[in-house]
Amino acid sequence: MFLEGFGMKNRILLPAIIMLALYSCIERQNFDQYDDLEIIPTVEASILYIESPERLLNEIQGQDFYSQDFNFDGFSEDAFSDRVLDGFIFYEIENTTSKEMEATVEFLDEGGNTLDTQYFHVDPAPTPLVQLQVAYGTGTGRSIEIIKNTSSIKVSVLNLGDNSSVSNLPDPKIIFRSSGKFRLRLK
Amino acid sequence: MRQVKLVLLSWLLGCIFVTAQNKQILYDFTEIPQALMINPGMSTDFQWYAGIPVLSGISFQAGSSGLTVNDLFADDGVDFNVKVRERAIYGMSTRDELSGTYQVELLNGGFRGRNRDNFYSFGIYNEGDAIGYWFKDYAILAFEGNADQLGRKFDLGHLKTRGEMLNVFHFGINKRVDGALTLGGRAKIYSSAFNFSSTKNKGYFVTNEGQNNLLANTIDADLELRSSGLNEIEDAIDNDSSLLPGILTRRLFFGGDLGFGIDLGFTYKLNKQTVITGSLLDLGFIYSSTDVKNYTIKGNATVEGIQVILPDAFSNSNADFWQDLVDEVDALVPHGTNNKSYIYFRPTKLYGSLRYNWGEPSNPSMDCDCNYMVSKRKDYTKYANGVGGQLYVINRPKGPQAALTAFYLRRFGRALALKTTYTVDKFSWSNIGLGLNLQAGPVNIYVMADNLLAYNNLADSHYSSFQLGLNIISWGKK
Repeated sequence: MFLEGFGMKNRILLPAIIMLALYSCIERQNFDQYDDLEIIPTVEASILYIESPERLLNEIQGQDFYSQDFNFDGFSEDAFSDRVLDGFIFYEIENTTSKEMEATVEFLDEGGNTLDTQYFHVDPAPTPLVQLQVAYGTGTGRSIEIIKNTSSIKVSVLNLGDNSSVSNLPDPKIIFRSSGKFRLRLK
Repeated sequence: MRQVKLVLLSWLLGCIFVTAQNKQILYDFTEIPQALMINPGMSTDFQWYAGIPVLSGISFQAGSSGLTVNDLFADDGVDFNVKVRERAIYGMSTRDELSGTYQVELLNGGFRGRNRDNFYSFGIYNEGDAIGYWFKDYAILAFEGNADQLGRKFDLGHLKTRGEMLNVFHFGINKRVDGALTLGGRAKIYSSAFNFSSTKNKGYFVTNEGQNNLLANTIDADLELRSSGLNEIEDAIDNDSSLLPGILTRRLFFGGDLGFGIDLGFTYKLNKQTVITGSLLDLGFIYSSTDVKNYTIKGNATVEGIQVILPDAFSNSNADFWQDLVDEVDALVPHGTNNKSYIYFRPTKLYGSLRYNWGEPSNPSMDCDCNYMVSKRKDYTKYANGVGGQLYVINRPKGPQAALTAFYLRRFGRALALKTTYTVDKFSWSNIGLGLNLQAGPVNIYVMADNLLAYNNLADSHYSSFQLGLNIISWGKK
């Protein structure tokens, strides 16, 4: 009696299950699309900041005011150098002193060899901000390999003025600012 | 770092198999012994039952509230990067989740006591549970970076995830207090194989114009990922994967972290045909002390690159300014690991229902050859139809998460019962489920599936679940 009842139910259930099976389907999916995924963020951060009061420019005799080799491992870290595609270095020099100056920024590799050099001529105050954007890795830019292999940054400043004049601007200084903006391929 | 990857892998695997844990079809499906597991106070008339080991209760649930497989992988000619950007990165909110649960009963049985008002049940089941909320700002930072986003605070609190695998050993008592009220309770011992959680993160990352230099990057972080049991698993995977089954088996059978919990439930007949039920599940905790490894980052720092202020810097012209900067940030935002034991709470669940029954009741003394199917309880009347509503709430890292269900239950004699449900929750507003219970002699088989409307394209489903089980049931001799 039970089985008879069960058989009767099957007349309802079986078609329902078959209908559900036929009804259920999955539209065509293309999981290979994952290979096309590109994760390329653009990151930016400051690199180097140097400031000096005019007083110091007057105290140090001669043209060779300042020269310093800064260890800078930020570019050569694998997490960066293996992924960087292209980008820019931004420079800004603010001079409120009475001195004419020339600044040189050199990118050096681990062996101390110069990979890239950037010169800046700075007029005495009053003078507008010196701003420069240098491209690396883009079509007309310098080679991105320079950035990848940079291990230190050398900054030199020549005082082309005298050692006695004083600017009439308040708190006269020479200020060097820089930052980088790069695209990284994470995938 | 590899352990973090292991956590992510566990989470992703969990998400493939899981979702919201709601067993709305099984709830109060009184023909099925496993319904006792989600309401220990369910009204029941079994004399005894024995689940077929490993097959008595298997359930998988998987859900994604914000995105479907089809949204990303449909072969629709749309650039995949555009789909990821529009539908995932910016299309989902931080309340969207990937989550899931599986349960496999290893052993389940029950018997009526000498006092026929008492029914005892016991067993062991294995459970895995994982949830991860959409870490939106992390994703935006990874895809877009911080460039040209001055002043935008990337919220580090968007990382919220937890997951675990454990065995649950349980013993429950179901007591008919009187003709109207049935109460139940279940004690549980948890034996955890592993768990991880990162749910109380705070902080931000922001880029602003610098005070001195062109830009200032600021991080203010209070982040923690707690894990237990993953180190040994990681070593086994790396060195000798044949050790893995042994490690998991030992941990799952009292060799790992232990905890304790209870389930409570009741059924109350408001009148002959109206029934109200409720249950509170997994009110418990686990003490994690085995193979603990916690990762922390806490502090704040603002970086404007290497800064050289003359003439002060002349005094240390040989200094490594870069290393000094790195050391300074490390000191301000210390990060590391520790092995501090911790307690974590299980995701507590709450069920409630109101049911109205009508139609021709099953005859408790029907004349048939199936005397083992006949209830002796005179007050235990099963009507042919039942309709009602259910509430489900689960405690999640972002607070309680609820689902509402309307259901219709239809019995065809004692051999067949169907329950259909319509559920509204954060995953779907069109979730129709169907459960089927077959009683073939003493053999009980049930099958349940969820979100059936999505079956026309499963890849486009935000949610799906499947449950099945096989039991032997006796209602005692006539």
